[in-house]
Amino acid sequence: MTAIDPNPQKSKLSRRDFLKLGATAAAAGAGLSLLRPTHKPLAAQPDPEEATVKTTCALCPSGCGLEVRVVDGKAVKVEGNPLHPLNQGVCCLKGQTSLEVLYSPERLEHPRLQTGKRGSGDWKELSWDEALGLVANRLVSLREAGKPHSVALMHGDLRGQMRQVVNRFMRAYGSPNVISRDSLGEGAARLALWLSQGVNALPVYDLNNSNYVLAFGGNLLESSRNLIGYLGAAAFMRRGRPQRGKLVAIHPRLSLTGIKADEWLPIRPGTYGALALGMANVIVNSKLYDEDFVRDFTFGFEDFEDAAGVTHQGFKSLVLETYTLERVAAVTGVSTDKIARIAGEFATNRPAVAVLPTEPGELSSGNALYTALAVHALNALVGSIDAKGGVLLQRFPKLAEWPAYALDETARRGETKERLDGAGTQFPLALSAYQNVPERILAGQPYPLEMLILLNANPAYEMPNGGRTLDALSKVPFVVSFASTLDESAAQADLVLPASTFLEIWGDDYLEGTGYAGVSLRRPVVEAVHDTRNPGDVLLDLAHRIGDPVKQALPWPTYQELITNRLSVFDWEKLEANGNWSELVYFNAAPGSPAWQEVVGRDRLNAPKDGRFDFFSRERFALPGSDSAPSAMLRASSACLPHFDIPATLTDSSADALDYPFLLVTQPLITQSSQWQGIVPTLQECYGLQGNVKWDSWVEIGRKAAEALGLENGQRVWVESPLGRVQAMVRVYAGLWPNAVFLPPGQGHHTFVRWGRKSAEAMLVGANPNALTEITSEPLTGLAVSGPARVRVYPV
Amino acid sequence: MPRWGMVIDLDKCFACQSCTAACRMENNTPPAGKDQAGMGRTILWNEVLPFVEGEYPNVKATLLPRPCMHCDNPACIKVCPVQATYKNEEGLVLVDYNRCIGCRMCTVACPYAVRYFNWYAPEWPEDLKAHLNPEPEVQPRPKGVVEKCTFCVQRLRQARETAEAEGRTFQATDYVPACVQTCTAHARYFGDLDDPDSLVSKLAHSPRAFRMFEELGTQPKVFYLKQG
Repeated sequence: MTAIDPNPQKSKLSRRDFLKLGATAAAAGAGLSLLRPTHKPLAAQPDPEEATVKTTCALCPSGCGLEVRVVDGKAVKVEGNPLHPLNQGVCCLKGQTSLEVLYSPERLEHPRLQTGKRGSGDWKELSWDEALGLVANRLVSLREAGKPHSVALMHGDLRGQMRQVVNRFMRAYGSPNVISRDSLGEGAARLALWLSQGVNALPVYDLNNSNYVLAFGGNLLESSRNLIGYLGAAAFMRRGRPQRGKLVAIHPRLSLTGIKADEWLPIRPGTYGALALGMANVIVNSKLYDEDFVRDFTFGFEDFEDAAGVTHQGFKSLVLETYTLERVAAVTGVSTDKIARIAGEFATNRPAVAVLPTEPGELSSGNALYTALAVHALNALVGSIDAKGGVLLQRFPKLAEWPAYALDETARRGETKERLDGAGTQFPLALSAYQNVPERILAGQPYPLEMLILLNANPAYEMPNGGRTLDALSKVPFVVSFASTLDESAAQADLVLPASTFLEIWGDDYLEGTGYAGVSLRRPVVEAVHDTRNPGDVLLDLAHRIGDPVKQALPWPTYQELITNRLSVFDWEKLEANGNWSELVYFNAAPGSPAWQEVVGRDRLNAPKDGRFDFFSRERFALPGSDSAPSAMLRASSACLPHFDIPATLTDSSADALDYPFLLVTQPLITQSSQWQGIVPTLQECYGLQGNVKWDSWVEIGRKAAEALGLENGQRVWVESPLGRVQAMVRVYAGLWPNAVFLPPGQGHHTFVRWGRKSAEAMLVGANPNALTEITSEPLTGLAVSGPARVRVYPV
Repeated sequence: MPRWGMVIDLDKCFACQSCTAACRMENNTPPAGKDQAGMGRTILWNEVLPFVEGEYPNVKATLLPRPCMHCDNPACIKVCPVQATYKNEEGLVLVDYNRCIGCRMCTVACPYAVRYFNWYAPEWPEDLKAHLNPEPEVQPRPKGVVEKCTFCVQRLRQARETAEAEGRTFQATDYVPACVQTCTAHARYFGDLDDPDSLVSKLAHSPRAFRMFEELGTQPKVFYLKQG
């Protein structure tokens, strides 16, 4: 392990000293700059007045490199790290406002225990030692009672090594219940890659080199996983190279992506899959597909006979027979000539790429997996799999080995237990089914839950389901939350172990979304502002309190040591100086070059059986049990092919259609900080760009609908679904599918602070649109189904 | 003397509002809060303005980032009765907060509506004051004065100091405002408009270049490049 100077990166030099020293330094030809770290400080300053510290952002999944200016121990400004390959010196508004997160008056300052009834708000602050003693005692006694599996951990975004730390902790402890929020959003894209390419990963889109980008969903330039990378790439696609690419945004609402795209294609909510298959029909019918790629590198394009002698339909005849232009136009509401034109443009302007959305709510219409497969199949039709300007796969660097650990009898028994969320049993294809947890807790299935740990997770907000999630939380005897603020779920917890912000902790991030292997280092920029801790440190501490085998799996005393140990394979000085390390070989390699062959060859081997792209998913075919998603459009074997099931809420025969005439669409905004309780004041003051709404929720409604209902801009209305109602302000907006309404996500949080003059001390900021949506699970995949919900709108 | 100017390429701008946030964090503009924001009193020197025209499905929306234009012929200066607002020798239009009497003539005269009046002394929740930029130029403004984008004049001073400390001549490229540095799509350019070789002056002469309300004769030093 490399020895570490606690603050080697701070240039130990104040500006005043800098001026004094200027002449000397120049004479010595040192040529140093304030922004560059120096390992040979010119002046020994016991307490540096000013420093610039490199770290890695954690406010969205991208993980950009940051440079934070620290004056007198206070962080005062954030900039992008110019040496970071992802953001290259730029910084988005969330990164900019991260100091409002760091110094937020909403933050919890100490661990706290709810002494009264859950949700009563009777809190007692306690020390970390007491708090962790409580948790460790519980964990140990449950383990001794042979019930370690009755402890579950629900988590949102986990960064870098934390994924493994959490998994090792729970596995060694003896619980299979590490439940990721994936199933609400990006799970569909991940599963589509697994079923078609045999790789459990999220797709990476090489927009820099693409000539035609079809963005399904509204979030590509607003809230995608690799937002900064894609923003830069979209700008480069337009103005940075000789040939300008075209960007088409397909979404029911004119989002920022739609406004800034070359073309906006409004579509009926929940019907992306039908559109993608209709476009495939045009491409196949006009023989515009990449015949070489389809012949040499795909499986299941033509009809074929399997080993048992059964004939299966191939992708080609499926789309030609079933997804004719007229039918698709009727389902999606996009005219036949538009579908044909866009499909033709897509197929003839290669490299072209069809982008899958990864944010919650975008695909969750009950057909998420097959929609994702249908969209992804377009990439295979034009030969954009593992190709420049197409879809790449994320590489990960090889880090130091994890220490081996042996499971004891208890842990081994725990491992074999059914998962709480039903992944792998109730949902054979699921890795996790986050939204299913409350139902299972309420049903006591498959066993009563004794303890729930929430890490970056706020289920009471994300899926209130008419209060049932709160009921479920109150049914669990002991709930621990790592929340930094008193969010909706933490308010129902027994114990809150407040997490430090990313600016106060050690950590790392993989350079995900870039394609190439790399890591980015996170380090404390300032000393912890409050008595909070890194959840990583807390888990290591707990591991030591519990003892073997958990301690054996996580032997490090601090998270800092874990990080330095894991990243010790790199030149630590360089890693610190640059803030990151990356391997760009594959990304920059010319197709056909040795570096390219090495990686692309490896991918192909990862794919099922012979390394071909599966139009007909052999992974799915190998699954026991037949079709679990019946539909009139299906034949028996087509459960293995991309297809389209019409979402239940779109069938107009449903009784709700008259009472609740509108379809609720929602789409994450760039101004939304999902990890942080909505109260970041500057984000609130930029919140609704198109309608210029600040500190509030608004409901967008088309002009015709607004006139028919007699609603005016600025009027307060109720938006009501069978599940509940929320209040919002009307914004008449032309960029909206005629019978859709839009509510912004991320609002509806409680604040306990007076933000600015005459604002209320405690209030709800806006309304939570999740409260209107019944969130259930897809039968096979365990992915969330959240609508589009049906709502009605009427004046307050 | 350089004549500082900015170019914003609307083809590359994706309206992410990072400039808006960077500006606030650099220049210490206070959060307005729900009540004051509802009255239109939010102070954001660098807002992105939405213009949505047309009816579904033929909607045209324009999102326009709007800093102070630092006009060569500024309307605000002409109406200021106490010469609190002035243009310095480098073309920056600035406000002397000590002279300003808060008459708000300039906020009315400015055709770009980039001048913000402090209706009350700025307020931050106590904890949040920790992150305020300590530079003297951006200390919170008192009640009753008008403030606006300065092209981050404190950064110009800092850049000059750094150059001096490093014993080299100050170059126009040493200095960029916070919004330019943070622009996620590299859509903003900044530099010396009088230097014919600078990127900004080349882009300002691009056939795509236009200025807002050019016909008013204010001669803004912020140029936009047309979309598409």
